[in-house]
Amino acid sequence: MTFFGLIVRNVMAKRARSVGLALAVALAVMTVVALTVVGDGLQSSAAAILKVGKADFTVAQKGVSDILFSSIDETQVKRIRRTDGVAGTVGVLIETEKIDAANPLFLEIGIPPGDLAAFGVTVVAGRPFTADAAHEMMIGWRAAQNLGIHVGSRFHANGTWNSVVGIYSTGVSFGDLGAMFPLPAVQAYNRVPGSVTLVFVKTAKGVSISSVEKRLNYDNPELTTIRTAAQFGRADRNLVFIRAAALGSTILAIIVGAVVVGNTMLLSLFERTREFGLLRAVGWARTRVVTLVLGEGLILAVVGAALGVGFSYGVTSLLEALPQLRGILHSEYTLTAFWRGLYTGLGMTVLGTLYPALRAAFLAPLQALSHE
Amino acid sequence: MVEVTGPPPVPAIETVSLTKFYDGTTVRALDGVELSVARGEYVAITGPSGCGKSTLLHLIAALDNPTSGTVRVNGRDLRTIASGTRFRREEIGLVFQLHNLLPRLSAQANVEIAMIGAHTSRRQRVTRARELLAAVELQGMESRRPPQLSGGERQRVAIARALANEPQILLADEPTGNLDSASVTTVIALFERLRAEAGMTILLVTHDPVVARAAHRIVHMRDGKVTDPDAGTVVFDTRGAAPGP
Repeated sequence: MTFFGLIVRNVMAKRARSVGLALAVALAVMTVVALTVVGDGLQSSAAAILKVGKADFTVAQKGVSDILFSSIDETQVKRIRRTDGVAGTVGVLIETEKIDAANPLFLEIGIPPGDLAAFGVTVVAGRPFTADAAHEMMIGWRAAQNLGIHVGSRFHANGTWNSVVGIYSTGVSFGDLGAMFPLPAVQAYNRVPGSVTLVFVKTAKGVSISSVEKRLNYDNPELTTIRTAAQFGRADRNLVFIRAAALGSTILAIIVGAVVVGNTMLLSLFERTREFGLLRAVGWARTRVVTLVLGEGLILAVVGAALGVGFSYGVTSLLEALPQLRGILHSEYTLTAFWRGLYTGLGMTVLGTLYPALRAAFLAPLQALSHE
Repeated sequence: MVEVTGPPPVPAIETVSLTKFYDGTTVRALDGVELSVARGEYVAITGPSGCGKSTLLHLIAALDNPTSGTVRVNGRDLRTIASGTRFRREEIGLVFQLHNLLPRLSAQANVEIAMIGAHTSRRQRVTRARELLAAVELQGMESRRPPQLSGGERQRVAIARALANEPQILLADEPTGNLDSASVTTVIALFERLRAEAGMTILLVTHDPVVARAAHRIVHMRDGKVTDPDAGTVVFDTRGAAPGP
């Protein structure tokens, strides 16, 4: 029999209790992983907007609750364009609209047709809309496929029927699932004349992108530059709150879980007092007793974490399938989510097991052996 | 002919003025106990309940600390040892009245458990546990769990566990207390064999006169004191030879 074999046998000896503990760990891990993957999914969806522009970085209004609430007027866009090191800018107005139950947040981008190429848009069928057309639009090729739309179709958006004059590709699936309109049409429908949501900035060759960002942030304190998904929180406070909620729930899960695990392990310690007394009496060192008890906890943590990740997958799939959340909630299973699940499981069991393990190790063998 | 004399042999166990008060009481569980057990000697300690027999055994096993006095094992003062745990693992084997076997483990695993942490490989542990179970006449019962064994068989597993780390000294506290007479005879024979074949020092605490008579010396205790340490001594060579016929 190996030491590890003994640990496994101890875990298996009280199956009902072990299953209960593993489930407690699994539920905590499930909550943490589900929140993390939903947060990551939201961040990823939001960050996908940035990728559509294929720019060096994006400029948004600082500290808005949702990045789509960002509002930058055209004077500011001009100022950005005049900044040293900036080679070009594209200002776009981004809105979402419910097209049908399957598309509750259909992406609509208002953009001047002259900026389409700079924005990385390729017209793959038909033609671009004209700058001042009131009822013309292009649709992304993925959206066209999903909705069964082709050039010449009519599409209801922005409060009116529009003619689909072209089908485009941006090379980014998020962008290809939306539609593009002349900028003034979207501005007029949303009653924000002269405003854009985001400005996509291309820097001049050989210029340090960071230095241009710094200058822009300095000159425009009401705006912020975003280059990576991680910087998204500068503009989108909702994401910051979601991240904070995920972190808070992780800490809470670890604390509550540690109390549950600790309570159960203490009960187990009480029942096994004679066993620990015997182990100490036959010459087991304290560290070995601690390792034994922690080892039992770690096995439960790993099993619980694995179950928790599985449960989280089920729960997020279920949430995504709910009619109220379809198309809004996107789960993204990243390595971070798995790590967070694992360290939540490990954290709660190590914290919960440490005190019982130390108590077991410091039992006086004689008293422990006479324990009834 | 020149008689060669060397230093007297170091006793396996020696207690000097050993006293033990339990916390919060004025009752002396042990009151100035003087005892010397030679290497290879087989000593039984008898006396009425509460006379301090088990307390004496616990102090010798470093399971408890004396209030005053000294315990020396193989010449080493137990107050100077760094770890009582290591001392128990390496130098003594303990047998309890209640066998204290782990019910969920097999007889084999119960013996092996004493060797975990004693720097023995898994293969060595398995081999030695099998040998020990064979030595206590439990071959073929390695996979049985304690609930599947009789009282005598359980106690023999416990003795095998006590011998797992090849101790020089075996301390047994009422090892036959819960056994039927047939099992008692088996355990007595086993102890005698261990002493004769392995030269093991055996100190056992017993109420049973049959068990005590099997020892080479009987030490009587009363009220925490050794009344007559030499009473009942059979002919015994303190240099470790077996007693003569």
